[in-house]
Amino acid sequence: MPNPQENAAAEEARLLARSGAGDREAFRLLYARYSAPLFSLAVRMVGNIGEAEELLQDAFMKVWRNAASYDPRKSRPFTWAVTVMRRTCIDHLRRRSRLPVTTPLLEDDTAIDRSGGDVVRRSAEASEDSELVRGAIAESPPNQRRALELALFSGMTHAEIAGRLGQPVGTVKSWIRRGLLDLRATLTEPTP
Amino acid sequence: MNTQLEELACLYVLDRLDARERAAFEARLAHDPDLAATLREIEASLDRSVRALAQHEPPAGTLERIEARISGSRQAAAEPPSRGAAPMWAAAARWGAAAAVAVGVGLIAVRSLQRAPAEGRPFVVVVGLDSLRSRLAEVPVQERPRDADASFIQLATLAERFWEKPDDLPFRLDSAGQSGRGYALFDPGSNQGFIAIRQLPAAGRGKEYRLWLLDTASGKVREAGVLPAAAAAGGLYFFSVLPATSAKPGSPDFFVTAEDTGSPLSALPRGKVVLGESRS
Repeated sequence: MPNPQENAAAEEARLLARSGAGDREAFRLLYARYSAPLFSLAVRMVGNIGEAEELLQDAFMKVWRNAASYDPRKSRPFTWAVTVMRRTCIDHLRRRSRLPVTTPLLEDDTAIDRSGGDVVRRSAEASEDSELVRGAIAESPPNQRRALELALFSGMTHAEIAGRLGQPVGTVKSWIRRGLLDLRATLTEPTP
Repeated sequence: MNTQLEELACLYVLDRLDARERAAFEARLAHDPDLAATLREIEASLDRSVRALAQHEPPAGTLERIEARISGSRQAAAEPPSRGAAPMWAAAARWGAAAAVAVGVGLIAVRSLQRAPAEGRPFVVVVGLDSLRSRLAEVPVQERPRDADASFIQLATLAERFWEKPDDLPFRLDSAGQSGRGYALFDPGSNQGFIAIRQLPAAGRGKEYRLWLLDTASGKVREAGVLPAAAAAGGLYFFSVLPATSAKPGSPDFFVTAEDTGSPLSALPRGKVVLGESRS
């Protein structure tokens, strides 16, 4: 029997297919589901609410234009949208010709909140899930955690991360792989 | 699942594979259920990491602005973004108004490229660059790319061909008496391209080379990126630019300037033009 995440992914894949066919209502439903996490990702990557909004617009324009090419065999719908958002932010950061000083995932983000964004009210379930993720990352070795954060949110290439951390590229790749797999293992453990 | 495949799956999810590696990974994915399962789990890790960030709602009216852009509403395009953020290329547009005058004088346009990318036969714009001038040409391509990835592969293939066989270029790269030479390939449909540097002097201390796209109809300039220091030794580099804000963009021209290292976003091109038409 499909789990709730699989059901949600299937529904979002249908919304993408409908958006690709020009269905504005489906596109609005996708926006309702994805805009807050993608906007939060953009805020985290570029560190500026105004720029993040511009980039969110650009990313959703790409979602609209490219929805018809989405292939569910290659990625989950949300992962596909995250990739679109990350690419948009990374292109922007590279044009800006400097990389942001990334902050740890565990850091309180209220400094960003004060600049104008409205914090989303989150369900208890979503909050618990976030706590699990944060806990898993907090428990990981510092180098592994830093490499994963840079890989996810800085826009740096692996070679650039290696340079920043003063480690060989192979070591950095290994830390990133280990970080993602450790996170996966934690998240798949049954809740007591 | 072996370590190498897991690492490949991580790189795929993090969008760190090049076009060829990605195509090979997806080909394997199609008939390897274990790899597909591992990929799904890594994707779940990424997705939940994103959802674990402190969540912010986008400013009110963002969806309406996106829908207005989809509809091509000029009124919405002119509306300033909320919270006082300046449009990214507003400053460049001010410079562009003056630059447009110079464009008409020295630019050697091989052919008119006024056609909108969505109409007519698909083509890639090729711009020959040396230290004195630009030369524009269009190279027909077999089919219109269905998305940005397909465009990337098409451009990369063409860029590699021109790199290996410069005689296939629609113009001759004349190096006599020039301090720099190269060319840019650009797909107006996906707003991405490659710049090939064949010859370029070192940027010098405190300077970096920046690539710019000039819309020759409106005179608006878009920054296309910073060339790595190693570019002076020659090479092929990918770039992408924001879409043109004009409903009918003109021919894209390119030029490279030497700017102060670390100049801020949206800084105007102020440094010496080292490749492309001189505007001094």
